[in-house]
Amino acid sequence: MIKLALPAGDLRTRVAGVLGAAGLKVEGYGEGSRTYILSVGGREEVVARVFREKDIPIQIALGNYDLGVCGMAWVEELRARFPHHPVVPLRDLGVGRSGLYVASAGAGGQTLASLGRRGLRIASEYPNIAEAFALAARLPAYRVLAVWGAAEAYPPEDADLAIIAAADEAAVAGHGLSPLLCLMESSAWLIANADSLAKVDLRSVLEPLAAGAAGAATPRLRLPPPLATASASAWPAPRSADTVRMALPDGHQQRHAVAALGEAGLLPPQGYDEFQCQRRPVSPLPGLEFKVIRPHDMPQLVATGEMDLAITGRDCLTEHLSRFPSSPLEEVADLQRGQFDLAAVASEAVPASDLSGALEHWRAEGRQTIRVASEFPGIADAYACSRHLGRYRVIPIAGASEGFVPADAELLIEGTETGRTLAENKLKPIDLLFRSTTRLVARKDRALDGRRRDVFEQVVRAMQQAANARQAV
Amino acid sequence: MDRPLRCAGMRDILPDEMRRFRRVEEAFRAACLGWGYDEVRTPALEHLHLFTTAGTLSPQMLGRVYSFLDWDGWSGERVVLRPDSTIPAARLYAESLDGGRLAKLFYIQNVFRFAEGDDSREDWQCGVELIGESQPHGDIELVLLAREVLGRLGLEADVRLSHPGLVRAVLSRAGLDASEHLALYDRILDGDDSALPELQGLLPEVGASLEMLLGIEGEGQAYLSNVRSAFLSSVPEMEAPLDELAVVAGALEDLGCRTLISAAMVRNFEYYTGPAFQMEVAGHRAGGGGRYDALISLIGDRQAPASGFALEAGVLAGLLSDEEPRRRLAATVVAQATDSASLASAFRLAAALRERGLAAQVAGSPAEGGPRVEVSGEVFTVSGAAGKARKLDSVEAVAEALREAAGD
Repeated sequence: MIKLALPAGDLRTRVAGVLGAAGLKVEGYGEGSRTYILSVGGREEVVARVFREKDIPIQIALGNYDLGVCGMAWVEELRARFPHHPVVPLRDLGVGRSGLYVASAGAGGQTLASLGRRGLRIASEYPNIAEAFALAARLPAYRVLAVWGAAEAYPPEDADLAIIAAADEAAVAGHGLSPLLCLMESSAWLIANADSLAKVDLRSVLEPLAAGAAGAATPRLRLPPPLATASASAWPAPRSADTVRMALPDGHQQRHAVAALGEAGLLPPQGYDEFQCQRRPVSPLPGLEFKVIRPHDMPQLVATGEMDLAITGRDCLTEHLSRFPSSPLEEVADLQRGQFDLAAVASEAVPASDLSGALEHWRAEGRQTIRVASEFPGIADAYACSRHLGRYRVIPIAGASEGFVPADAELLIEGTETGRTLAENKLKPIDLLFRSTTRLVARKDRALDGRRRDVFEQVVRAMQQAANARQAV
Repeated sequence: MDRPLRCAGMRDILPDEMRRFRRVEEAFRAACLGWGYDEVRTPALEHLHLFTTAGTLSPQMLGRVYSFLDWDGWSGERVVLRPDSTIPAARLYAESLDGGRLAKLFYIQNVFRFAEGDDSREDWQCGVELIGESQPHGDIELVLLAREVLGRLGLEADVRLSHPGLVRAVLSRAGLDASEHLALYDRILDGDDSALPELQGLLPEVGASLEMLLGIEGEGQAYLSNVRSAFLSSVPEMEAPLDELAVVAGALEDLGCRTLISAAMVRNFEYYTGPAFQMEVAGHRAGGGGRYDALISLIGDRQAPASGFALEAGVLAGLLSDEEPRRRLAATVVAQATDSASLASAFRLAAALRERGLAAQVAGSPAEGGPRVEVSGEVFTVSGAAGKARKLDSVEAVAEALREAAGD
């Protein structure tokens, strides 16, 4: 059985096109089927599964999949941290061309050389590449903000640099950023696990894709030489602000935030509603500034003081606190919305209804290591330790989680609302970790004075009152 | 047990090897104290940014450090398991000792750097730091101190001297910029045969002499004067490094220490600013060091000249022959019965024997042929490999009998 990993998201349609043109019709893939495991027309020996693009090099490296398609930037992201991984790039599929750029805020007039000062903040969805860049350039005392999305939104207030994928320099400028350096050109490539190439007959997939453009040189990360830096220059002064900055979520938290803000009388007059959101919607309250950020990334921004308030889920908050128990983050209000359970999920085929039964079953099957997949690796790690899973491995994933169990993981730590999606994927919850709702969070040691304190307290009070009213209903 | 429990690259040090390690450490400690150095320790975790500034750690090393987000690392700033002890010592000096006096420090610590397969990722180093104005006395002292440590261990070393200023002077005169310097220098160190002709092409006025500088290893003062004659007119920047080296090589020669001079020797080009040295024992690299005057100002706010060296404790321990086969075996005291009074008598006798300088245990199985003492009231029966059992009636007699049996 040849296992093929295909990307969800932006690349999906174009990759489906390339595969179809080569005579590899993956049933339902191009149409955006929500089924994660797909068959390939006319080839019984091939099975395809859909993943978030960034997870594909990891799955190939682990050997769970023989072949995969993803942007080369993600392969370099893996290689930046694990130089000896067994992923072999085979063929450029000619679609999804983009560049990986180091960019700073638009009109800054910055050059690379001016970067050599202490305390630079680098936001990126490619944190390993960001670290490699910072080390190669010998940036003094940098810090990397590993974000789940929209790194281009961070500069100038919340990061000094962003490392982002964009079609070209004009696209970088289109985000309001100024491209300083191109780290690599990327496109969608067919990649393979080295062991599979050595031992498994992959010609059903390789042959159809071999015809076409001659092999291109493998795109690789180009790191800059050390920057001449002003040595031991002072740390930047802390942010002095006259506004209260509040982070609003996009994604599935968005509608709950819209409702909560609405009831508190704080909804932006435009640019943030159930269907759409601008990056920086204007707030109805003077002295309050909004910015839309991925909920997963909010805790870090509040902990470091870039944001004063954030609306995020208890799941993201707990993830952050699991990894950083002494973080200064605290919850100031439970908004009583967006409720779901965070559960440990196993295959329906496991003959047990709780964790200890499942563990017994897996040990009897001879499993030495329990694999736990989750979008919340900190929570998964804390769970595995406290429940004494013994020898375990946490597999961080970006999404498309239901397909992991049972082939690639024993347990999934996953949110579930009605349980229907789990049942559809032949999964069942065997342990409840906690119930999550949308929360308002802030820093414990916030030092707000005068005007800012008033605004802060007004926002918190309004949202708390609206939430209490909901609970009383 | 199919998968080993020990992590790859990590080693247990078992009793025999541990004894050799302690001999290395004791020789090192004794020598350092004799030369007026004080021992310090730095913590296992440091901020990564201490090591990332240009000139602190080589790119090869930086790519192998064990860095991670600490439990309070929510800002994204990383900490690191120390990959080196000189930079932490510089930080210690900048934070705690910077009072203008010369700081003479030594340490025995482990450092962590990733290595392939099962090659060692944790290495123990015996290191010395001399911080403050000390050139040229300090440079000479460090070489002599290192040699003395090896001498105490019965090891004979080859001493190689170098000075990065020599090659730097040549590369600058060839019109290369900083990054080209590094690239060409690395090629020379890697033994790239095309590097030398390329450099000769860029510097026709010294051309052939480059072979003498980069292609061969010279000895002491004689070699240095040859280099001086060949290069000084076309590369006057070589004068200062040659002078610095000559003072050190000359003094060492005077003291009977033969030195080899190797212009391209130290790997971390940017780090050393003055005379550097390496010690080799029986073909193994035992350690090395040199002068790094720019380092302290990279870490703290002040400038302070500094030099130091580190010896690889594991390498040295491996070069030691085993100790005398007759290790002093502990005598095993055997109680007459297992009630508390009998056991107390056994422990009492063992303590009394230890007070008299003998090794004595109660718990533990006697080694093959090892001495045994049975306690029965006030009667002690000594037995063992040497001769038959003897009944004695005092602790002194027992101690005497045990010393005789050990052949002291």
